[in-house]
Amino acid sequence: MSEVVRKYIPLLITFIVGVIAVLDFYTTVPAIRGTFTVLKNWGIVVTAFALGVGAVNLFRVHGKRIAERGELWPLSGWLLFMLIVFVVVGLSTGKFDASWQYKWIYNAIMLPLGATMYSSLCFYMAMGAYKVLRIRNIDSLFLFLTAIFVVFGNTPIFPAAFPGFFYTREWIFKTIISGAYRGIRIGVGIGAVVLGIRTILGLERGYLGRA
Amino acid sequence: MGILTSGRIVAFIAFILAWIATYLGIELGKRGKVKIRRLPALDAMEEAVGRAVEMGRPVFDIIGMGTFTDIYATQTVAGLSVLNYVAHLCARLGAKLYAPQASVDVMPVAIEMVREGYLAEGKIEELNVDEQLPYLSGTQFAWASGILGMASRLKPASVIMVGPFWAESMMFAETFDRLGALEIGGTARLYQLPFFAAVCDYVLIGEEIFAAGAYLSGDPLQTGSIACQDWYKIAAIILGVIGAILATAGLPWVSQLMSI
Repeated sequence: MSEVVRKYIPLLITFIVGVIAVLDFYTTVPAIRGTFTVLKNWGIVVTAFALGVGAVNLFRVHGKRIAERGELWPLSGWLLFMLIVFVVVGLSTGKFDASWQYKWIYNAIMLPLGATMYSSLCFYMAMGAYKVLRIRNIDSLFLFLTAIFVVFGNTPIFPAAFPGFFYTREWIFKTIISGAYRGIRIGVGIGAVVLGIRTILGLERGYLGRA
Repeated sequence: MGILTSGRIVAFIAFILAWIATYLGIELGKRGKVKIRRLPALDAMEEAVGRAVEMGRPVFDIIGMGTFTDIYATQTVAGLSVLNYVAHLCARLGAKLYAPQASVDVMPVAIEMVREGYLAEGKIEELNVDEQLPYLSGTQFAWASGILGMASRLKPASVIMVGPFWAESMMFAETFDRLGALEIGGTARLYQLPFFAAVCDYVLIGEEIFAAGAYLSGDPLQTGSIACQDWYKIAAIILGVIGAILATAGLPWVSQLMSI
């Protein structure tokens, strides 16, 4: 019984839902379209329930840390406080994330923090570029030269003075990079399709914990 | 052709052919006639976990912030397959695994897979789900900064990043590199691949992550099922070459055929 519940029923559900999803994409049969719309709505409801899992995990982990006065516990307290503030403000206004109060908190706290993290990427990229662009052999020399044209071609000043930088960059992007890019993209598409087929057939059971 | 959606008829036929090719691949796999090339990044996972055991430091497995309902779901499934394998390895060899989560719908599955891995190795009492698979945030940079903080405090010996990644990929790769971790990165998101290629010790490029589950299972049946990927690639190359030649000659037949 346990094996049926843990293995065969999930595989059967996966097969049925997978086939309906595929047929929804390729056919115009109203019954299939309607069924898949219902399934998608179920998915939204299940995802909403899953939000609770995340919230419970946050309260358990950080609540324990606060109770035990663990490492950086004041930050855990701040996290839970802000979590409650967001929920209370969202629910109390009746407009959820459309209320100006919620938007104000979001725009005043979350957006600047996110922008700060995002802008720090330039330092990470500079460090990465330094590692990659060191000339150690003939391959890295070509990579370095290509990077010079792309970086200089992307800046306003160099193409203004030497238009050749811009045209070389364009040629590199449209001729060399797009070829390699499309090759990888075709491989990715095929790989995703085959993984989908394996999942529908029950061969790929990673999502079941290899039940 | 009223039943089939206009513009997707050839795609549907191609999909049916993919099913047939997969079936043939499975049959060849059963007979042991399918051999796939080695993937050093997947072979190195045992080395990564072993390194963590020797150094007495943890292993991080990050599956990205994709969900089951977006277009990156296949990459998330691939990341989960790798997570399951890594959980088995960590439980067997005695390394502590951390897999911080970003998606609430993926998280229960990830927990179940890690639990199954520890259970199968008889080490379930060593797993602390709340500590090892914490939910950090569903917001990109809050999640990323959470992982960077965890990494700075716990100093992992190895990190495995397989799944869909966005701008945070470079932050992770650089930070873990600075901490001296052995890095295995893999994604099918093309803009992030160069970042992993630049910094990680081992890289899974694009489609290779989709083969991870079958490759790591070692099951000839599953290995056979991924052989058809190569057949399809050959067909794509042939069509591409013919299409390019015909288009150059002013005959866009292949592109017209694809849009039927």
